[in-house]
Amino acid sequence: VRRRLSILPWPKPPGGPRHSVCHFCDTLHDAFPVPEGTAARCLCCGAVLYQNRPASLVRATAFSLTALVLMVVVHTFPFLTMDAASMRTSLSLTTAARSLIEEGSPIVGSAVALFTIITPVILACGLIYVCAPLLFGRAAPGAMFVTRWMSKTEPWNMIEVFLLGVLVSLLKLAKVADLHFGTGFWAFAALMLCMAAAVASIDRDELWDRLEVAKS
Amino acid sequence: MSARFPRAVDRGLAGCHVCGRVAPENLGNCPRCGSALHIRKPNSIQRTIALMSAAAALYIPANVLPIMTITELGDVDETTIMEGMISFWNTGAYPIAIVIFTASILIPLLKIVALVWLCAAATGKIDPSPSMLGKVYWFTELLGRWSMIDIFVVGILVALVQLGTYMSITPGPAALAFGGVVVLTMFAAMSFDPRLLWDQLDRMNNIPNPETALSLE
Repeated sequence: VRRRLSILPWPKPPGGPRHSVCHFCDTLHDAFPVPEGTAARCLCCGAVLYQNRPASLVRATAFSLTALVLMVVVHTFPFLTMDAASMRTSLSLTTAARSLIEEGSPIVGSAVALFTIITPVILACGLIYVCAPLLFGRAAPGAMFVTRWMSKTEPWNMIEVFLLGVLVSLLKLAKVADLHFGTGFWAFAALMLCMAAAVASIDRDELWDRLEVAKS
Repeated sequence: MSARFPRAVDRGLAGCHVCGRVAPENLGNCPRCGSALHIRKPNSIQRTIALMSAAAALYIPANVLPIMTITELGDVDETTIMEGMISFWNTGAYPIAIVIFTASILIPLLKIVALVWLCAAATGKIDPSPSMLGKVYWFTELLGRWSMIDIFVVGILVALVQLGTYMSITPGPAALAFGGVVVLTMFAAMSFDPRLLWDQLDRMNNIPNPETALSLE
């Protein structure tokens, strides 16, 4: 039975008909299953209620695993090097945060570390921890706690903003120095895409419904 | 408005803001994930106004004080956000100047204006039209994070431009103030409850609100 659970597209938890409330206008709907790849929208205001993503668990696990591997690459390979005035300086995610802390802005530096390093790690690890056991129809211990914290950290993941920041700084420095992209930079660009795909690959309602079914 | 769709509040139900499960509000906590259940976000307007005022106050030092100090061959040059943008414009880098202007000056300002507008509409000071204000709210929630770009640019420049006596860059006090503006407006947008706009619309159309009826009992 557990094996079959994982193949089921979106199991509805037991206990009668479920409702769905529009988070935007509070309209009450009956939560009908929708075909894969489509979304249920609010009758009143048109906001998306829930989406049935194709191959949701597999994609969430695969993309977050890839993201985790890419994070290791980003932190071990050179990100960006600059040659100017016969000197060479290099940039990585950690040096951006650390130099802010060392040059007199510890709060801003910690915030940068939180938004670009810690939050993506929490999100990727959390998604793997919750989704991988669900592939086998099981809920990992404390999975609900982890999922609750993931939804709280999600808005603070800003790697795409950091990438745009790198591009702006490049244009600022291009006139005065020689800049070289390293492997780390390309891994970071891929990481941004993987994180976006991982977070978007499973709907919140589906994840919680699956957790509830796996627990019961 | 002719027909009104049934609302969760009419039946005393609340959608859990963490897991989406719909349950009677008087349970107190969500039966699925254990988070506190609320028909509406508690003290939504007050919290939004408080956070937004703090952000508006910080917006001034963020734009007046220098965001970074560039020391070039002993020459100390302090630049503000606006000066950085103007120097890009003057060198002909128009797209970058527009990106910085939008992310650092326009978006925070528009967010503060949008939140004032939303709070005024939800309390009935101005006409609430949820379909249009919905887009305003969506914009405020989605675009807020992109203002962080200037903080990241400062971090990257400080890390890269450490060339001893030739040239070095250190962060200025505006970086902290500006980071505060971004984080506070993000919290303010999160604490606003768009459903209050629909409640206000009901009140204007004299549709009895079960929540207010309950509190009168």
